[in-house]
Parts: sequence; C-alpha cells; structure tokens
Amino acid sequence: MKRGNVIWSWFWMILGIIYFFLPLVATFLFSLRAQRGVLSFLAYQQLFNDNDFIKGFSFSVLWGVLTIIVGILIFVPTAYWVRLRVPQFRTAVEFVTLLPFVVPAIVFVFGLVRTFSQPPFLIVNSPALLVAGYTVLSMPYMYRSIDTGLRSIDVRTLTEAAQSLGAGWGIILFRIILPNISVAILNGAFVSFSIVMGEYILAQYLAKPAFAPFLAFLIQQKAYEPAAATLVSFALTWACMGIISLFGRGQQTQLAGGH
Amino acid sequence: MNRKTLLVVLSLLVVSALLASCGSAATPAPAASGPFAGTGVAQGYTGQAVSSVPADLVTACKAEGMLTIIATPPNWANYGEIFADFEATTGVQLNSLDPNAGSADELAAIEANKGNKGPQAPDIVDVGYAYGAQGVTAGDYQPYKGSYWSKLPATTLGIATSDSNGMWTTGYYGIMVIETNTSVVKNPPKNWSDLLNPEYKGQVALAGDPQSSNQAIMSVYAAALANGGSLDNAQPGLDFFKKLNAAGNFVPVIAKVGTIAQGATPIELAWNYNAIGDQQSLNGNPPIEIDYPSPSIGGAYVQAISAYAPHPNCAKVWMEIIHSDPGQLAWIKGGASVVSEADMISRNAVPADVLKTLPDPKVLAAAVAPTVDQLTTAKTLITGGWLSTVGVAIPTAAP
Amino acid sequence: MPFFLFAFMFLLYPSSTIAVRSFQDTKTHLFTFQNFVHLLHDPNLINAYWISIKISLITSLGGGIFGFLLAYSAIRGGLPPFMRSSLMTFCGVASNFAGVPLAFAFIAMLSPAGVLTGWLISMGYNPYFHGFQLYTFWGLSIVYMYFQFPLMVLVIAPAIDGLRREWLEAAENLGASGFQYWRYVAFPILLPSILGTMILLFGNSFGAFATAQALTGGQINLVTIVIGDQLRGDVLGDAGLGYALALGMVVVMAVAITGYTVLQRRSERWLR
Repeated sequence: MKRGNVIWSWFWMILGIIYFFLPLVATFLFSLRAQRGVLSFLAYQQLFNDNDFIKGFSFSVLWGVLTIIVGILIFVPTAYWVRLRVPQFRTAVEFVTLLPFVVPAIVFVFGLVRTFSQPPFLIVNSPALLVAGYTVLSMPYMYRSIDTGLRSIDVRTLTEAAQSLGAGWGIILFRIILPNISVAILNGAFVSFSIVMGEYILAQYLAKPAFAPFLAFLIQQKAYEPAAATLVSFALTWACMGIISLFGRGQQTQLAGGH
Repeated sequence: MNRKTLLVVLSLLVVSALLASCGSAATPAPAASGPFAGTGVAQGYTGQAVSSVPADLVTACKAEGMLTIIATPPNWANYGEIFADFEATTGVQLNSLDPNAGSADELAAIEANKGNKGPQAPDIVDVGYAYGAQGVTAGDYQPYKGSYWSKLPATTLGIATSDSNGMWTTGYYGIMVIETNTSVVKNPPKNWSDLLNPEYKGQVALAGDPQSSNQAIMSVYAAALANGGSLDNAQPGLDFFKKLNAAGNFVPVIAKVGTIAQGATPIELAWNYNAIGDQQSLNGNPPIEIDYPSPSIGGAYVQAISAYAPHPNCAKVWMEIIHSDPGQLAWIKGGASVVSEADMISRNAVPADVLKTLPDPKVLAAAVAPTVDQLTTAKTLITGGWLSTVGVAIPTAAP
Repeated sequence: MPFFLFAFMFLLYPSSTIAVRSFQDTKTHLFTFQNFVHLLHDPNLINAYWISIKISLITSLGGGIFGFLLAYSAIRGGLPPFMRSSLMTFCGVASNFAGVPLAFAFIAMLSPAGVLTGWLISMGYNPYFHGFQLYTFWGLSIVYMYFQFPLMVLVIAPAIDGLRREWLEAAENLGASGFQYWRYVAFPILLPSILGTMILLFGNSFGAFATAQALTGGQINLVTIVIGDQLRGDVLGDAGLGYALALGMVVVMAVAITGYTVLQRRSERWLR
C-alpha cells in the first residue's frame, strides 16, 4: 500500500505544479517582451525604479503582519472559549465568522466607510480602521483554521492538566494551546496575509497606499510592467510566507509528544 | 531559542530593508501626497506654473495645503502634465484617489465623505456628461465661474458646454475610434462594417463592461449611429454587437493596454485620447494604429467642484488651470479635443507640431454628441439589453 | 466578550446597512419593497443567482476534491518534507491570486494568442478547433480553481495532520486494506472538516467578481458583477437594487451554511 501511495502522491503533486506554474510562466514570458524584438528585463527595471511599487508592497506587508497578530489575539481566545466553556454560543459565533464571506466585499466596504466617515465615529483616517477591516475580511479563514486546529487537539485535557499545575489563563492560552495549534494558526496566517496583499477595495476607499490599488493602477497605464509586478509580488509574498513559516517551525520543535 | 532569535532578527532585517528602501515615506499614516501622485508623465516633465491663475487663489490654496482629485489616471488625456503644472503653480501636493473609478463612484465618494475633511474626500471630479446634471440634482457640486467663464463657447458638439449656474463645465471631449495592434492584425479595420470581417475572428473588444462602463456603452451607442440608428435609437448598436458576437469576432475580455499588447484583444473601441495614450505608452512595442470610423460619437467630460470640498480654493485653482492655455494644450497633446480649441487656434496658441497631430477637422465635425436625455435613454436600453442580446444568458451543456 | 464587540462594530453594524438600504428606493430613500419585487420578477437576475450558485458549487466540489488530494499527498503521501512547506506557502500566495492579474495570466497562457496555445499548435493540436473556449462558464471555472485549490489545501491541512499515525497502523494491524482504512477510519473523521472547507470554497467563489469581470467582461451573468454594476458603475445604477441583491446573497449563503451545519453535526457524531 505504501509504494502505490507514493506514486499517486507524486502524480497529484505534479499535476498541481503544472496547473499552478503554467500561467505564471506565461505571465513571465510576456513580461520579458517590454523591449521590442528583444527578450529583456526592462519591465522589471522600470518597476523597481518606481518608488510607489516598493512603498505599496512594504505597506501591505506591514499591515498583513499586523492583521495576523490582531487576528490571533482576538480569535484564538474566542475559539478556545467557545470550544471549552460556552459551546452553546458555537452556532452564533460560527455564523458571525462566516458573515464577511457572505457579504460581498464591496458592500461591506461601503458600509464601513459610510459608518465611520461621519462623527461620532470619524476614524476613517486612522490606520485602526484598516486593520479592523482586514481582520474582519480574514475572519472566516482565520477562525475556521483555528477551529479546525482546536478540534484536533484535546483541549479539555490540556487545560485541566495545565490548571492542575497552577497555570493561569494567559499561560494556558499562549504557552500551551497556541503551540499545539501552530499549524492551524500558520495556515490561517497565510491566508490572512495573502488577503491583505491582494485586498483592493478597502485600501482604495480609505485612500491608503497599499499594493493592490497600485497594481490596478499599473494595469490601467502600462502593458508589461503589471506582468512583472504580478510575478515579483508573487515571489516576494511567497518569500514572506516562507519567513512566517520558519517562525512556526521554530515553535513546533518545542512540542512535547504530538503526532 | 537561538534559532528563534535568529529568525526574529532575520525577519526584522528584511522588513526594515524594505521600509528603508523607500526612504522616509513609508509610514503607516497616509502620506499627504496620496498613493500615486508622483507617477504619470513619463518624460520627466516638471510642470510649468500657470500665470493666468489669479494670485489670491494661489495664496489661498497654499494655505489649504492639498488638492484631492479622483478617478483621474495620469495617462487619461495627458492629465499627468496638468498634475505637474498644478504642483508647479501652487507648490501644493496633489492627492489622486482611485484612478480606476467610474463617474458614479466619484459622486458616491463625494456623498460618502460629506463630513470628512480628510484625504478621502474629493475636491474635484471629472465625470461623464450625464453626471453633470445628475450631480447638480444630488447637490454634489458648488458653483464657480472662473476667469475663463465668458470665453467658453455656448455649445460643444451640439450640447451645452456648461451649467448656467457654473456648477459644472465641459473641459474636453473625445471621439470613439478603433484602436488596433498592428503587429497582430496586419490589416486593421477602418470602419464599422470592417469589424464584421471574418479575418478579425476573436479580436474585437470593448474597453469595459457595457453594463457599467461609460466608454463601453458609448461604443455600442456609436455602433448604433453607423447601423441605421440615431441619437434617439441605440437599439441597432446592440444588434450590431449581436452580429459581431455571432460571427465570433467579439471577444468578451475587457481590453487594457496589456491585453492589447499581448494580442488577446488586438482591436479595441475606445476614446481617441485613450488610444493615443496607449500608443504613447507602448511606444511602438507593439505599434498601434488609430482609425476614425464614420459616423462616430463624441463624448464630453465635465469637471466640477465638490459641494463639500475640504480645499475649495485649490479646487478653484485647478479649474482655472484646466481652462487656461497650458491646461487645454496638455489635453490636446493627450489627444483630446478641448472646448477652447477653436479660440486657441485662432490666437495661434497651439504650437505647429501639436497642430499637426490634431485629428482631421472633418472627422470632428462628423461626430455628434447626445444630450442628457438621449444619453439616459440610450444607457438604459444598452445596459438592460446587453445580456439578453449579446450575453451568455444560460450556459449550455458542457463541451 | 471583546469578540462580539469587535464583530458588532466592524461587521454587523456596517453590514446592516445592506438590509436597511435594500428596502430603500434609490432616489427617494423611502421605504419600499420595490427592489425585491424587481429582483424576483427579473429573469436575468434570478439567472444571475443560478449561474453564481452553479459556478460556486462546481468550483467548491472540484476545488475541494483536488485540493484535498494535493494536501494529502504533500502531508501523508510519502513525499519529501520540503514539498509540504513549499506547497503550504505557495498556496498561501495563490489563494488570493485573483482578479485582473489572474485573468491576465490565464489569457497569456490560453488565449488564441497565448503561450500554451501556441505551443500546442506547433505540436499540431489547436485546442480552439476542438471547441475549447476560455471566456466561457467552464473556462472561468478553470480559472477560479486557481484560488480554490490552495484555499482547500491550507484549511484542510491541520485536519489531515490530526489523523494519528497510530490509527493507520492499528487499522493495518487489524488487516484492513487501504480502501477500508479510508472508508471506515480516515474519511469519517475528515468529513466534517472537508464539508466545512467546501462551504468556505463555495462562499469564496460566490463572492468573487473581479476575475470574472476581467476575463469575460460581464458577459457571464454573476450576481456579484450585477451588484458591482448597480453600486458603482459609470452608469445611473440602482443602489437599492444592488443592496437587495446583496441581501439575496446573504440568504443563499445562510441556506448553504445551515446545510453545512446540519451535515457537520451529523458527521461529528462519528468522532469519538
């Protein structure tokens, strides 16, 4: 059974790799055509000379990380609490976390801007609103990931064991539960991060210099640079994910026992 | 623990490197200059101060410190040059919001930001002709009759140039043209009937979705004029596109300068100034040909100051600039036709080399523009009828 | 709890504007049912819902199945360990690769002027002569998969991790074949998570619009595109209708979520 398994695994992987990489290759080939008749990296040069590209990208990276942190701080305790203490709230909480999914982004953003651009809540200029918006948008994925993770560990036993050793809630949450669901959190973090990187509407309406509006702008103006920008951002985001995952790996080696 | 600290340090280095590479500008708070104020005019044009702007307005504008404009990409009719001129005249930063927005978005932004004096509230809008009247009804504009007011022609393309109370003014207009990537299409279509030729299979595209994009709707409207319709009857336009689609010539992808260059949408129907902008941006790679079909439709764009503008004086300076000679000339260089064109030519205010690039006056004369009522009727017809006439209503069984 | 406060302020209250405005006439802001009447009587709009649902069902099923296979292969399939982390990080990026860049990538690849098309033609096979079309419902589905597969992989991975090796070994010891292991052990355990993730995929696809619009110019009638048109088009849009449509979307999703919850509760009974 094992040997057959591995062949199948390779089969699916290779299929996946082809599907995912071909469009990227096509984009890449196009991006090389910026100079007539010659294959060159001109588009990339022009891209890196553009201040707004670097500004937009680093802005989104920064806010992506912040969103992940805020998300962890809000959702992990919530999911934990629901699972452990108040399972009767579970349906309500799940419904709420799925709501951002249901509401089309554009409607949600409109609502958000309208609510917060009039007094008394005039925080539309503040970065807090941006983080809040991003966190809400990533909520379905983050929460669901965390929930799946919590589901596969024995929360009750761990908590009781920790409590019997005299641990307070803070320690339980962050020293015990968190490392055990680090895989789930990591995956949720990936999705959140990439949501922030790709998020256009919120950043646009709040007039923030994020990456996605910049890309949209570029697509309107230029032919070859957007292809280059897409690939560069893809690669850089992938690299950032790699860094985030190294963090997670560091955590995992601290697990006692485990799978 | 060692590995962990190493990771922390590593990632901090990366992040700080990213931030440092753009100097001091990378702060989380929105920079006053807005996301994309700097990009635009490729030639490194630094702008010239416009002398005809009243000095007291310039001073008042400097005190306000910013101008927020919306839905105005720098390569749309060479707006980038006007941006630079504004900054050179006042020394004030230009904040450019949402370059991809449509006219309805602009009004929505005004209304959504009524109480907001921050950088999300637009001071100036540039909207399609129909939105002039719509904005007045909605109370979105404030009146301004600048120093240029008395010199404006009463009508442009047969329709009123400006609102009698000064609420909005037409600045420029364009003609619908056929833009072709000649490295993919060796024999470009010259007129509407050519588009139906089988050699253009899967090559003809619109600049947007006709259910929402002004440019795309006007393309359909223009087709109506050429196929037995009139300004009051846009139905033949829908029928034309139905034929185009049935022939397999129509490709539903929204054409952008990238898809034109790539070859997926080598023939596009667009405003002439956008086509010229594409031509300049691509710079021969690939070469673009622009053909003026006949008859064609003209589309005017009007500019207005937001009733809730946080920086009204800067907005007034802007209005002065766009109606000054340098401003109008910038638009001309961008390929648009401007309201003061006849006046400027008679005063020899247009340089000879630019004069040469102007489209044939006969072509301009042949273009017509609809009134607001005609526009409304046509839009309702086209947006409502597009899906059932041309769209993929119900997908048939899988191939 | 802070969670509910957060949710209320930033999600529920702004979203309630949908409900409010869907009952308002666009121009006069008076209370009306007109928007909903319009919705229910317009075959184009009902069709839009149907098409959106169809594409979401197809891409969530397809995405779920293939995504699961990919995830399982990388995690438990005996592949070298770096493939797992590369897959995860790649999926992180790809799960949000959508909109114009994604459409453009596929256009660059498969359009009549595309790279892959050209390559296939040079080998003597022109897919277009065999009825292939990119700018159709099925073409769009293929493109949608690009962000559906990764999402599935990412969200189901922790669940696959939760499949204890001991169970596999125990099953083998008891003489179970691979198929039996799946049917009686692994699959029932994974089912709630798989279903839950598929709902996520459904919602993801249901709410997508930028990709569809870029690829097909609004020719394919999706609810999200219609809403976008009404709320922000260059045209004299009908905002009240847009909000009514959005409310309709909420209803559809609510139905889907209820269905999922029921299924999930049932299948969870088999766990422990």
